[in-house]
Amino acid sequence: MPPARHLGRHIPWGALPLLLLLLAWELVSRAHIFPDVLLPSPLEVGRAFHEEWWLIANAVAASVLRVFAGVTLAAITAIPSGLLLGRFDRLYRVMDWTIQIFRCFPAIALVPLAILFFGIGNKPAIILIWISAFWPLLINTIFGVHSVERGLLRIAHSAHASEAMILREILLPGALPAILTGLRLAVGSGWLTVVTAEMIAVRSGLGYLIMYAQTVFRADEVLAGMLAIGFIGFLLDLAVRAVRQHVCRWQEGLVIAQ
Amino acid sequence: MSFVRIAAVHKIYERRGEAVHALAGIDLEAGFGEFLCLLGVSGCGKSSLLQILAGHEHATSGGVFVEGKPLDGPHPKAAQVVQDHGLFPWMTVERNVGFNLRARRTKSAEIAAIVRRMIETVGLQGFEKRYPHELSGGMRQRVGIARAFTTNPHLLLMDEPFGALDAQTRSLMQAELLRIWRAHRATVFFVTHSVEEAVYLADRIVVMTPRPGRVRAIIPVELSRPRDPTSPCFIRYVRQVLGEIHDDVLNLLRERQA
Repeated sequence: MPPARHLGRHIPWGALPLLLLLLAWELVSRAHIFPDVLLPSPLEVGRAFHEEWWLIANAVAASVLRVFAGVTLAAITAIPSGLLLGRFDRLYRVMDWTIQIFRCFPAIALVPLAILFFGIGNKPAIILIWISAFWPLLINTIFGVHSVERGLLRIAHSAHASEAMILREILLPGALPAILTGLRLAVGSGWLTVVTAEMIAVRSGLGYLIMYAQTVFRADEVLAGMLAIGFIGFLLDLAVRAVRQHVCRWQEGLVIAQ
Repeated sequence: MSFVRIAAVHKIYERRGEAVHALAGIDLEAGFGEFLCLLGVSGCGKSSLLQILAGHEHATSGGVFVEGKPLDGPHPKAAQVVQDHGLFPWMTVERNVGFNLRARRTKSAEIAAIVRRMIETVGLQGFEKRYPHELSGGMRQRVGIARAFTTNPHLLLMDEPFGALDAQTRSLMQAELLRIWRAHRATVFFVTHSVEEAVYLADRIVVMTPRPGRVRAIIPVELSRPRDPTSPCFIRYVRQVLGEIHDDVLNLLRERQA
């Protein structure tokens, strides 16, 4: 490896564009292109964080818990369904069109229905997250099973492996990299959905916080809420990637990047 | 009585709408503990025959009998070694070797003991916790062989297992295979297109014709083991076998050039 590449390995280069954006934001707010009430400076937003930290922390906790609940439900339902759909071709052929149609509904289009059926509160929000996290997990699990080498199944049949063993020892681990990619997408879309749902169907969480701040004309709180949304989403993604790296250790050195 | 009897096996399969006559009436018998090499130019149906023996494919007509019983699906006393080694990339060496035993629900203490013994037999001590992609091609093939022998197979089906190895590793693996085979005594069907390999390994060489595959000649190799590939008798056998396939090779070359 060339030394120049080695040198910068431990510097978090990913922060660089963020710092530049922060700088640009500061410059724009100092230039007073927009009125201060619309675009507060980074410092003012920082102050909002400081003053309202309890409010924001509560909102983060509420949102994260909903995402956790929804994605967990999605994982429990989508992964086994995906394994079965991937394994049994006839079942897949029956379900394929239905899956392709239903996965096209964006969560926001389902909000009215969710409110009609489940009212206002945690229930509709979690169910919406469940639905939006379900599809990426399901489709990636099916894809993961389909990408398992056929020869390995022949080996299993020769060994007279039971269907349960094939699922447990071959299809699940073989599909796991794809499943975890699905989980990454699921957490991402769950996080998008929770904010959407909270803007309409719940009275707590980050989505509610920024909607409320907008009605009382607190641009600093709106921005603080948005920053929190981005940052927490980033942390969630890091967490899933860490899990993936741990679970798919056997891929190390086999693929370009995990 | 013969251990394996192949009786008038025909195989016709369809490829891109065209009927391909792969095997045209194969009759062959193998005694218990006999080492048979199936030899022929590529596309002569030797791999098809092996797939039928493995129970993965059915003969279009005719049949295979093991110990007098018609074969229907993978035989419980059979094991397979394939060219691309067929290891599970997400399992360590140890887990891979133990797969066939786990499929048979052997007790885990017993599995551990057998796995340890087989890993020693193929000389892979110290690599138990490695993943397949961390091993060299020869080592992977040893893992495949170790796995095949764990269940004390009476019938061992090997489809060009050393085809992807370099010449040195290949001759090493051949010697090792004979050593393990002598210790375990199984009937072996070994597909190869290398004449030297066949003369080195086989009790009898089954020379097949190009598609549609028939048995052209059966050549018993009456040389004591270990065989010396440089000895005059060895070379005489090589010449005899080459004589049988000479025209086929020339025709194949002509076809490819046309």
